[in-house]
Amino acid sequence: MERNPTKFWNPYLAGVALGLVLLSAYLFVGKGLGASGPALRLAAAAVGAVAPGHVAATPSLARLGADGHPLDHYLVFVAVGTLLGGLVAAYTAGRLAPGVTRGPSAGVRLRLWMALGGGLLLGIGARLARGCASGQALTGGALLSAGSWAFMLAIFAGGYAAAWLARREWR
Amino acid sequence: MTFPLEAVVARPELASVLGVLVGFGFGFVLERAGFGDARKLLRQFFGTEMVMLKVMFGAIVTAVLGAVVLAGLGALDLRALADEVTSPTFLWPMIAGGFLVGVGIVLSGYCPGTSFVGIGSGKLDAAVAFAGVIVGQLLWAELELREPFRTFHGSGAYGHVYLYDLLRVPPAVVAAAIVAMAAGAFLLAERIERLLGAPAAPAEPPSPRRRVLAGFGGAALVALATLALPRGTSAVAAPAPRIDPEALARRVLDAPWTVRVLDLRPLEACAAARIPGAECAPPEALADLGMADAVPARDVVVVGAGDLADAPPEIRAYRGRVQVLAGGFEAWKAFALAPPEAPAPGASPAALETHRLRAGLNAALTGAAAPPPAPVLPAAGGARPKKKTGGGGCG
Repeated sequence: MERNPTKFWNPYLAGVALGLVLLSAYLFVGKGLGASGPALRLAAAAVGAVAPGHVAATPSLARLGADGHPLDHYLVFVAVGTLLGGLVAAYTAGRLAPGVTRGPSAGVRLRLWMALGGGLLLGIGARLARGCASGQALTGGALLSAGSWAFMLAIFAGGYAAAWLARREWR
Repeated sequence: MTFPLEAVVARPELASVLGVLVGFGFGFVLERAGFGDARKLLRQFFGTEMVMLKVMFGAIVTAVLGAVVLAGLGALDLRALADEVTSPTFLWPMIAGGFLVGVGIVLSGYCPGTSFVGIGSGKLDAAVAFAGVIVGQLLWAELELREPFRTFHGSGAYGHVYLYDLLRVPPAVVAAAIVAMAAGAFLLAERIERLLGAPAAPAEPPSPRRRVLAGFGGAALVALATLALPRGTSAVAAPAPRIDPEALARRVLDAPWTVRVLDLRPLEACAAARIPGAECAPPEALADLGMADAVPARDVVVVGAGDLADAPPEIRAYRGRVQVLAGGFEAWKAFALAPPEAPAPGASPAALETHRLRAGLNAALTGAAAPPPAPVLPAAGGARPKKKTGGGGCG
């Protein structure tokens, strides 16, 4: 494969490829994709290792471990695969390089604080909506779930509302 | 061949292995689309390069068309798959959560899925964003149990509702409408890119878009054509699936809000004795139930006097799941109203559990003294029948 860090797939063809990945998850495994679920499971496992009593007293965490270890779950395996897939794709394209992605005028410190704050909102939003852009919008949207479509439209509404506020971070 | 593959669903360890492969494809495609770099994703919201919309919409249309065509050919039960894979709709928290996720994407530069790819590309900001996702979720896991967050977290609950339920058209028609929407969105996105586009935005050759849209259109036509197939091949025309008395008892006791039991026997018989929580729906009253217009949030179980071959057409018109109680009320009576025989010594834990359920149910429904408890039991199962029936002296 040629190494060209600035060359990406055509977005339409990438969309079709992503759709085929999602479809094969439906057809061959009977499940979908997800990214926020595994993050919560990782958190539940970490908290459980430090303070097992607290997990047991918090139903929203305890139920993750009801059928065994919180990390023994299909979506955790998907997450491991996602990390590997990203790593291999970045390496073979010559894009694997440590660094901080940021806009031309934002400093590293501002960028990392924004990443943390944005990540917090992603986490809260994903729990509220029972899934994130992968698990709720893509997986549920392609199965025509009404709630998933409302969620997806709200993502774009929130994104455009915040774009004006965040213009100094990125432009 | 029917999907999803039975061989995989029955074996979680095989599903986990396939999960790694599915995830690998997911991560690989996201990286090649450019989402390992936060700036690429962000250009969506500044209008200069709307990759996120194109990839996301393209993926959804592809998966919708694949699923709907297979469902039309009878190889896939679309609603059963969706009930299994998607979460029920909680409208208000989903809209609020979507808004927060949208703001979070713009501030952090990632959605949780692409942060994995950013980490895989070696980006520190992706790792920080992922840490934020973990902390944010833990925070909400604490808050969702406390008022007023708890009420909001469960508000707008409509159960499993799909666009084809809301619009009252077959899924293939919804799929065709989504293809048309996607075509419009793609053209609009390219126009906005030309208006706002920074000179850095690479010029897209139009041919892939045209070919992709032509493919979508062709698949949508195939999906629509499957509507003309005789229904005998699809899951729609098969008789309603059956549920045995034990499974129904567990649902009625453990999660009564997920099930609506309709007793089809004549009014006098139903008034005399019925399954807890059942509605009397004698044959002459079926049309008044308006099942075709009912919100399909709960599963409906119909109960006849004896075994019913299928649910009556008034009830089949319900857009949610319809099940028939195997053996009808007779079977329920034999299961729940007759005192169970004590299990043999050395019976399996599952058999003991069933016995405890039956004993508790029998005691609660008939007022009979509970039979002596089954020997050597784990303490967990016994509380269950008591919880909803408000009585019973089991265990």
